[in-house]
Amino acid sequence: MSELAIEIVELTRRFGPKVAVDGVSLSINRGEVYGLIGPNGAGKTTTFSMMCGYLRPTRGTVRVMGVNPFVDGALKGKMGVLPQDAMLPGGWKVGPLLTYWARLSGLDKPEQEARGSLERVGLMEAWGVETHALSHGMAKRAALAQALMGRPPLVLLDEPTAGLDPRIANQVRQVIRDMRDQHTTVVVSSHNLQELEQLCDAAAILDRGKLAQAGTMAELTGQSAEFRVQVARGTVIVPELESLPGVTSARMEGETLLHVRFDGQAHKPEEVISRVVGHLLQTGVLILGVSRGRRLEERVLQLT
Amino acid sequence: MNELNETAVIWGAECRRTLRSARVLALLGLYCLFALLVFVMAAAVRSFAQQLIQSGMLVSNEEMPVSVLGVFYLSLFFLPIYVALMGFDQVSGEVGPRSIRYLTVRARRSSVLLGKFLAQTTVLLGLVFLLDLGLCVYAWVTTPGFGIAAFGFNVLRFWMASTVFSLAFLALTSLCSSVTPSSAVSLILNFSVLLVSFLLWTTALLDPGHPLRYVRYLSPLRYSLKLIHLEPLAVAGGVAAYVVFTLLFLGGAFFVLRERDL
Repeated sequence: MSELAIEIVELTRRFGPKVAVDGVSLSINRGEVYGLIGPNGAGKTTTFSMMCGYLRPTRGTVRVMGVNPFVDGALKGKMGVLPQDAMLPGGWKVGPLLTYWARLSGLDKPEQEARGSLERVGLMEAWGVETHALSHGMAKRAALAQALMGRPPLVLLDEPTAGLDPRIANQVRQVIRDMRDQHTTVVVSSHNLQELEQLCDAAAILDRGKLAQAGTMAELTGQSAEFRVQVARGTVIVPELESLPGVTSARMEGETLLHVRFDGQAHKPEEVISRVVGHLLQTGVLILGVSRGRRLEERVLQLT
Repeated sequence: MNELNETAVIWGAECRRTLRSARVLALLGLYCLFALLVFVMAAAVRSFAQQLIQSGMLVSNEEMPVSVLGVFYLSLFFLPIYVALMGFDQVSGEVGPRSIRYLTVRARRSSVLLGKFLAQTTVLLGLVFLLDLGLCVYAWVTTPGFGIAAFGFNVLRFWMASTVFSLAFLALTSLCSSVTPSSAVSLILNFSVLLVSFLLWTTALLDPGHPLRYVRYLSPLRYSLKLIHLEPLAVAGGVAAYVVFTLLFLGGAFFVLRERDL
């Protein structure tokens, strides 16, 4: 069995003259929490939809859990999906609807599965509520619950916390953390970059349909290649820092922020950081703090 | 879970949902009102039915009152509209709001289509059976010599004819619903196709030598009169025509739904 949960090669999707996704290639390992990042119109949802077999690519290939998602029924039992803008069907109460879907998924105890997944998202009180009577947040959680039923090995979540209040959003993030602990592969797209930075092991940044960068979160945020030192007082002698082993460049960003880049391949981050901080202290510089890498948000803004 | 089981699960769920919806009850009421209206008209204007028989558009049957036959035939022509109103959104109604995405990750698209088609069929055939039963009860009460055997035979015959006829239009509605991106477009397309079908059928009124007259064979309405014909061969021909239409429309719906974006 392939170690890759999802493999995308040169994926392209056009809508008339508009190219929504343009030659994107990605690999997502099993057991990873993987983020899809990008501004509106970057192609995240289109990529998602092709992973789920909803949209056919104009060009390129997708393999999900070792199968072609465009083969009818190939994804059954392999994947749970929270589509971004799919409404729950009308004419159903939440509990019976989830029970029906669990039965359709071939799960052994459909009603028990439905109840269990509603409990996981804190929505048991909605069991007997008509789907059209649900608030936005409740509908989102009901949709999330259906994605979790049967504990599929791969879960795709498109904007799982969009429009949710902070308490419920935190509950959803906890569900994702729990899935990570259970080695479930999770692909999640969100505009909340802080959330993705906390949750994801790796991510891809999309911009205008193209892949801007993909890698582990440490790679994307440069945690193994740069750090910043908040200077409280004193004079930083940059050339001396640049001569320290492992340091490739150092520069002041404003008057109080020192930005240091280092060779993360040959030197351990903790050694380089300790060396630089030690040198600063020796030369009478007082520091307020050290932060590794940069915020994911900065990286995304830089790339998109 | 294999495809048959998936289809059965969707079939059961869709039947329950359809029966709970107010639309089905409203349409049933409308259908009965229409049948009643036709019945009153046919009873009042018997000459109209006689004209239909003489023109060959209605098959005479000595056992059955002409008014009953008239109601049956005319209600048969109302069936496609009824089917369209009942099922126009069976697929498109889930494609527009994208709720079909919840289904296709857990069931084959073919199962979704077939499950919904069977649910519509089940509900419709139940309703049609009630109407056909009502017609035969009327014939039984009002027609001397219309015994229990004739009653049973005619209920079955009417119902089978309605079933065969309805299946083609249910499949046509499935096709229209599978092709379109939203319920509204599906309804418009469905009625447009029915109108075209009616227009094709009316080419039978052209002069016998007119080349356009042959296009009447393309209309699914064309073969309805054969379904309760007295000649078994004519009935078999009508049934075969509707089987072909059903397979064509349903096959088209399968193909479109399998290939389309959701």
